[in-house]
Amino acid sequence: MQKSNLNNDNLPQFDRQFFSSREKIMCIGEGSLGGKASGLNFVQRILKEKILPEEFPSVEVTIPRLVVLRTQIFDQFMERNDLHEKAYSNLNDLQIIYAFQQAELPVEILGDLRSLVENVHIPLAVRSSSLLEDAKYEPLAGIYSTKMIPNNQANPDERFRKLIDAIKFVYASTFFKSSKDYFDATSHDIKTEKMAVIIQEVEGNNYGERFYPNISGVIKSYNFYPTGNAKPEQGIVNLALGLGKTIVDGGTSWSYSIAYPNSIPPFADVQDMLENTQTKFWAINMNPFIEYNPVAETEFMFEAEINNAEYDGTLNYIASTYDPSSDRIKMGIGTKGIRCLNFSQLLTMNEFKFNNVVRKLLKICEEAMNGPVEIEFAANILQTEKKMHLAFLQVRPLALAEEVVDLTDEEMEGEEVLIASCNSLGNGVINNINDIVFVKPETFDKKDTRLIASEIATFNRELIKKRKPYLLIGFGRWGSYDPWLGIPVEWPQIAGAKVIVEANVSQMNVQHSQGSHFFHNLTSQNVSYISIDLDSKYKIDWDWINKQQTERETEFVKHVSFENPLQIKVDGKTSRGIIRKSI
Amino acid sequence: MNMAFNPFEMAKEQFDKVADYLNLDEATRDFLRNPEKEYSFAIPIKMDDGTAKVFRGFRVQHNNALGPAKGGIRFHPEETIDTIRAIAMWMTWKCAVVDIPLGGGNGGVICDPHNLSMREQESICRGWIRQMAKNLGPLQDVPAPDIMTNAQHMLWMLDEFEKIHGKKQPGLITGKPVGLGGSLGRNEAAGYGLIFTAREGLKKIGLRINETSASFQGFGYVAQSAVQLYNLLGGKVICVSCWDQKDNCSYAYRKKEGIDPKQLQKITDKFGGVNKTKAVELGYEVLNGDEWIDQEVDILFPCALENQIHINNVSQINPRVKMIAEGANGPTTPEADNIIKERNIFLIPDFLANAGGVSCSYFEQVQNNMNFYWEKEEVLAKLDVKMTSAFNAVYKLAQKKNMFMRDAAYVIAINRVVQACRERGWI
Repeated sequence: MQKSNLNNDNLPQFDRQFFSSREKIMCIGEGSLGGKASGLNFVQRILKEKILPEEFPSVEVTIPRLVVLRTQIFDQFMERNDLHEKAYSNLNDLQIIYAFQQAELPVEILGDLRSLVENVHIPLAVRSSSLLEDAKYEPLAGIYSTKMIPNNQANPDERFRKLIDAIKFVYASTFFKSSKDYFDATSHDIKTEKMAVIIQEVEGNNYGERFYPNISGVIKSYNFYPTGNAKPEQGIVNLALGLGKTIVDGGTSWSYSIAYPNSIPPFADVQDMLENTQTKFWAINMNPFIEYNPVAETEFMFEAEINNAEYDGTLNYIASTYDPSSDRIKMGIGTKGIRCLNFSQLLTMNEFKFNNVVRKLLKICEEAMNGPVEIEFAANILQTEKKMHLAFLQVRPLALAEEVVDLTDEEMEGEEVLIASCNSLGNGVINNINDIVFVKPETFDKKDTRLIASEIATFNRELIKKRKPYLLIGFGRWGSYDPWLGIPVEWPQIAGAKVIVEANVSQMNVQHSQGSHFFHNLTSQNVSYISIDLDSKYKIDWDWINKQQTERETEFVKHVSFENPLQIKVDGKTSRGIIRKSI
Repeated sequence: MNMAFNPFEMAKEQFDKVADYLNLDEATRDFLRNPEKEYSFAIPIKMDDGTAKVFRGFRVQHNNALGPAKGGIRFHPEETIDTIRAIAMWMTWKCAVVDIPLGGGNGGVICDPHNLSMREQESICRGWIRQMAKNLGPLQDVPAPDIMTNAQHMLWMLDEFEKIHGKKQPGLITGKPVGLGGSLGRNEAAGYGLIFTAREGLKKIGLRINETSASFQGFGYVAQSAVQLYNLLGGKVICVSCWDQKDNCSYAYRKKEGIDPKQLQKITDKFGGVNKTKAVELGYEVLNGDEWIDQEVDILFPCALENQIHINNVSQINPRVKMIAEGANGPTTPEADNIIKERNIFLIPDFLANAGGVSCSYFEQVQNNMNFYWEKEEVLAKLDVKMTSAFNAVYKLAQKKNMFMRDAAYVIAINRVVQACRERGWI
């Protein structure tokens, strides 16, 4: 087996006997593996060493088999098809995708891809692994696309076409508008970006028209929203049924502190819990008759109702049942009733030593990467064998600010305070903000949140162009997947904000946002995030804001500016934050 | 062409050797060492100057146990029936070794297209079809381009055939132009197929393709696409030889730092002849045509005619050469084979190495039958898988039985054909 000669990662070159070999990762071409694939290659080695089968006899931790198209293939694809000019132009996303779909992949890799689909008959995830995803403080999480393909067509020609369409789609996503906005906001040059692509077997099982894992999870070293006795540094886990898209998109998932797996999130009552736990899940659509739509990331995915999972028999270990006679949630699904996905058998009973595995994974990754990390995984429960198969999907460094800030009680109050909160994220002092973009309280209505999101994006673009960082104030959960719970922006739509305030108003009084990738971007770019509850003693001084110079105003959003900058401090240790008025 | 050399005798000698190994009975040997059917006919045409001229045409159908006969049509001034017979036999083995459901055939016309106008060539094509129309067809015998014939010739032939039969039959002939029943990737297929097998061969002998260099004999459509892909994979071509029609001899064009395939193609005519004057201007050394074999390279790619590596020049092969991949049909004589074997040079035999063209012809027929055409990426991906699988099967047998690659390829191919003949109850 030949090893790549230009790279020091020592990964074997793709061999068409791969699928009968014991190798987990092989690569095609030369150049970089990109951030995601490098992380997986790194973890592959340490998992073998650090997780011994006898420690967790009922859990098998592995990396799903994957092939990486190194960045050389991307370079060849771009050059041979003369795509650079179109890629860097102002073409919209659809035009970019169309141009990329018309182009041809390098002939050198076609036979390998063809033999890959001839040998693999389970769904494949075609994922980005870009050069700059490697950079610790500038992760591009969620910026580039991943495409899942069912790979279940009887005809290998069809499977091959879907695979190459998916690869071109991921290449095209390098040059989507959201990506370009991100590069503008982070002062990187998009021309330096290169894309490797991971083609990975999807962890999961086939249930008729649905293919999905029992559990998807994200583990973070740092808990941005500690509740109860939990401390930020004790870490947090988000769990969901089905594909990880639920968590990644900031949908409803179950979160818990690694130190307190039994503690439930702060729901008001049982009804609140039933309304705010997962009711839908993402799966790969295995239906052979799917509308051809190669420009859609979710072409082969759909959101299924939880009762489908009940039918599939995948709720064991992860669901509980509402008992109306006692108005309580009872562990398991032994009786009929409304299901609540609280993963209680795994967390309360610690079946499969689940939380111990999570703790161990986090520890070895933190040690290996010498700092806080974020891990994505998927798990399947083999019910007859009482075993769990845990697939490690991704690890990346989690950047945290290190500047020490102390905020005293006295500083939190006074005429000069514009905003104060005891529920803040981030850490540090900011004194270069002369602009505020805010959702106007007087016209805010939760039915309009999608419109508000698009209006904010226009302000964001203008301010990025002018290179002006700004304070953003809005209501409900920023980046909410559900438009009734907040403003459903994607990160690039607010990427120019340096400080974000999430307030509650009477018509939108919700738990603060949990968007996984969203917060990774916040923290990696040292964006401070301040939450203000409806019943907080600290209020926003709207009068002062409205007296400032109006730069532009739309139906729902207003931009004001002032000569002297705001004085902003966030104390990461105490979660206090304060914004002082411009004087 | 060396008139003393008889390619059919060589083909039979190669067959006999494997027949001995397989212990074939006399009837089977007799059946397979000779063509099933042969056609020899006159093609009278009116020349542009008003005179009439008669050309001699041939078609040989060697074997159709695995499927309709398949093979090219060659236009060459020194064409002989024995050359056609040999190539028809090699086509049988070629289709069998890459496991496609086709038999072996070949045909040609004794003529020199260099000296014929397009109208005269069209008349020859149409005349050839008129003589053969009853004995050709998608389910009988499927011609294709070969030496000095191309997509235009195929289209004239198809048109004449369809006129005679009064219906559309695009599967009659392969190598048609794209858009008129041709397959994308057909132009590249033979050359790319050659490089796919060479790439696999290099892996087996532990050489990285991007650290190798090569010398090519011939610069026709097979060699041109082979040079292009070899170059894309990082290989360095330092010498290319070709026929010079004007000087009536061959030259080898050398650039030690590596030739630029696109640049060289720009100064090459449609028959694969390089413009000598322009080559000199571009800094190429012009050597005697035979010197392509002497070059200090890792790989030799004979991609011109049969009988090019023989007992008289095999010793000229540079000690650095580790591999010979045969793009042409029958470029190496059995005597030269023995020396190559002794020198432990890894040889990829012609009917395996140059099977890319016929594999793509088969894909073209499949697309014609479906009336649905694949993207180029699909064609080339299938081609790569087909060629790589065939190479690996041959290599595996060669390793297992400690055989020369040519012998292993023959064993696989002849076995498949013999099996088909037996199952049909012919022998």
